[in-house]
Amino acid sequence: MIPINATIARLSFQALFGRRRGLVLMLVPALLIGLAVLIRVLTEQGVGYELVDSVGFTLALPIVALLGASAVLGPEVDDGSIVYLLAKPVSRHVVATSKYVVGWLATLAFGAGPLFVAGMVIDASDPQRALGWLVGGAVAGTTYAALFLGLASVTRHAVVVGLLFVLLWEGLLGGLLRGIRWLDLGAWGTEVASAISSSITAPGTGLTYAVTASAVITLGSVWFAGDRLRSFTMRGDE
Amino acid sequence: MTTLTLDAVSRWYGNVVAVNGISMTVGPGVTGLLGPNGAGKTTLIALMAGFLSPSAGTVTLDGEQIWRNTDVYRRVGLVPEREISFGYLTGRQFVLANAELHGLTDPGAATERALEIVEMVDPAGRRIGTYSKGMRQRVKLASALVHDPGVLLLDEPFNGVDPRQRLHLMGLLQRMGAEGRTVLFSSHILEEVEQVARQIEVVVSGRHAASGDFGAIRRLMTDRPVQYVVVSDDDRRLAAALIAEPSVVGVTVRDRGGLDVAVSDLGSFVVRLPLLARGAGVRLVELTPTDESLESVFAYLVSA
Amino acid sequence: MAERGAVESRGVIHDLGYRPYTGPRQGEGAIAWALFVNGFLNAFGIGRSGKSKVLPFLLLALNLLPAVIVVGAMVLIGLPDLPISYAQYASTTQVLLGIFVASQAPVLFSRDLRHGSITLYLARPLRATHYALARWAALLAATLVFLLLPILMLYVGTLLGELDAGTQTEDAATAALLVVLLALTLTGVAGLIASVSVRRGFAVVATIAVLLLGNGIVTAIQGIATEQERPRIGEIAGLFSPYSLYRGAGAALADLDSLTPPTGAGMEAAYYVAFVALAALCLGLLVLRYRKVSGR
Repeated sequence: MIPINATIARLSFQALFGRRRGLVLMLVPALLIGLAVLIRVLTEQGVGYELVDSVGFTLALPIVALLGASAVLGPEVDDGSIVYLLAKPVSRHVVATSKYVVGWLATLAFGAGPLFVAGMVIDASDPQRALGWLVGGAVAGTTYAALFLGLASVTRHAVVVGLLFVLLWEGLLGGLLRGIRWLDLGAWGTEVASAISSSITAPGTGLTYAVTASAVITLGSVWFAGDRLRSFTMRGDE
Repeated sequence: MTTLTLDAVSRWYGNVVAVNGISMTVGPGVTGLLGPNGAGKTTLIALMAGFLSPSAGTVTLDGEQIWRNTDVYRRVGLVPEREISFGYLTGRQFVLANAELHGLTDPGAATERALEIVEMVDPAGRRIGTYSKGMRQRVKLASALVHDPGVLLLDEPFNGVDPRQRLHLMGLLQRMGAEGRTVLFSSHILEEVEQVARQIEVVVSGRHAASGDFGAIRRLMTDRPVQYVVVSDDDRRLAAALIAEPSVVGVTVRDRGGLDVAVSDLGSFVVRLPLLARGAGVRLVELTPTDESLESVFAYLVSA
Repeated sequence: MAERGAVESRGVIHDLGYRPYTGPRQGEGAIAWALFVNGFLNAFGIGRSGKSKVLPFLLLALNLLPAVIVVGAMVLIGLPDLPISYAQYASTTQVLLGIFVASQAPVLFSRDLRHGSITLYLARPLRATHYALARWAALLAATLVFLLLPILMLYVGTLLGELDAGTQTEDAATAALLVVLLALTLTGVAGLIASVSVRRGFAVVATIAVLLLGNGIVTAIQGIATEQERPRIGEIAGLFSPYSLYRGAGAALADLDSLTPPTGAGMEAAYYVAFVALAALCLGLLVLRYRKVSGR
């Protein structure tokens, strides 16, 4: 169990919610749940469940993960002030992991959790389905958060690259080509969700593959971020 | 005990060589790293702070490698040039966070001590975003001192700091040096280095141009004649006598009185001058070296 | 020593030939035009570093790819009609367009505000309003290139494939009108967000969130409305996202596929009005933002 540095985690937490980004982070799930309530009030139970899937899981979850990951690592690396955190006798992998945990918790709270709430609001009679989306969202969110953290440690265009990946690769192409599902974080999450609830269709990669692939990407990305921090260089007058 | 050693260190970025074969030893006391902009000062400090790996050569602290060795930060305090962007934290919170990251047993007490040293106790409760530049420098310094390091590295610490705070900072650095710490700071402003550091390392275009006390460096530059101003009661007669001397390279009569004398052999000149004056019946009033300031040393080195 | 006697009297400064420019100066219009051209080129990375050209040109290429394929098929195989209508094209490639607008708006709006170089621009005889308009126009032009090129390509393809020129021209023109409206709204939204949130990464995510999330939500609502057989709600929901406005207006004018197309002249008019109103509102807020920044 890799230890996490409480101070770094606390600083990341303050960075995430001390800025405007934090507000938008909470706005997205608020919007989702608000809509779910609206739909439930205006129609009957069970109507509009695709909100949870096509809006919440496919769009909102990656966006929240992206906002979270780029907020805990992005700005400090961009302007070099992460130097203050790195000139310490703390292992760089611990730094990366501590930051990841904050981003991960934010993704779970504001990305995956609302899926359960929205699902239950729309159809309280099928809690298993909502639970499926919660767990699937948690798995996908964990992997998204790690991947985006890794991207943020490499380039300051991490945000755009991450969006391209989610929207183009997983979204556009994933809808067209079946084979993409083997390299599609969202598909792995959906696979896990379908294992919990039969109302959710599985993309067909098999549960073992989905879980293993998610774990590999998660651990690999966090390790990668730590490795990038180990080689962090201070730029002088350029 | 706290000695930074650079051994034939080079660093290049593709075709650009930022640091070219520099060897130096930085020991206890205050050392000034001097050089024009773009000379490689920040690169050197980054190398010494473990935030850059040398393309060739080694950088060690008491024999221990610094690159990828996070434990070394227990003994090193770094004050980078970059601004702190943690504007949402108060000064105290920032220094406290640094203290906690160092794993100190009593971070609170260490924080207060550090804030006292830099005289930032009162404003420490305000957010860093509200600080002036000088206050931010002092908070940065406090965060670097909080773990009582033996080595202190400062990159352009006087940049943009107002005169009163600059004076305070200089006194602080001198005190640190006197306590036996190894303090290295970089600057391209000669007066700052002159007043604080006795030992200087001059870096020009990535090369190590000179090292040591600036008076000593001047004396070592024997290929340049030393300039003196000699004032006497009969300049012309003295000038005639001086020009005959083999150690004198040039004599210029100044229009405000006195002579500008360029001397190639300092030792013999110093012995011969009183004899010459007595022989010519001239009374010497004043003898002043005119280029032993750091500025002239620096100018010579940079233009070389 | 203060006194120098009669040696030096007064100093002289000689005219070495420095002459300020006294010729005719071009007016504010020329400044705005130069800003517009520069902004337009910058949106595609021209005039900036090599790396900044990658994304816009990549997106542009991906955007044109289907059009190239269709034209190729038309000419070589000889299709009887366009497999994808002019208006449908923009709807299909909306993700690419969204990313383009979201990632290039910060280049034009956030950069100067973030780094303070806006003060250099406003120190010239250029009013903040005109600066904002010039930048907005530049982004609009870039977006129009993105949207109109495929239509042009398809049109040329149909001419080469010898389809009926009359109907094709009509269809292409209608689609062109629609995409102009779409471009107006997208530029407005992206520009406004980029000028308010000056950190580039955040602006990009926020714009994407607003555009795609908004579109996703509206689509979901429209889907539910259709299921519930209350299409009216879907029609109203369609007023709230640029893409759904496009689809709605497109359904009215050009037979575009839309889940809940506007029915009745009143609703159709509402769509056009909403389109223009949204664009105007965003532009107005954008100008206000810059006037606030300039302090005037």
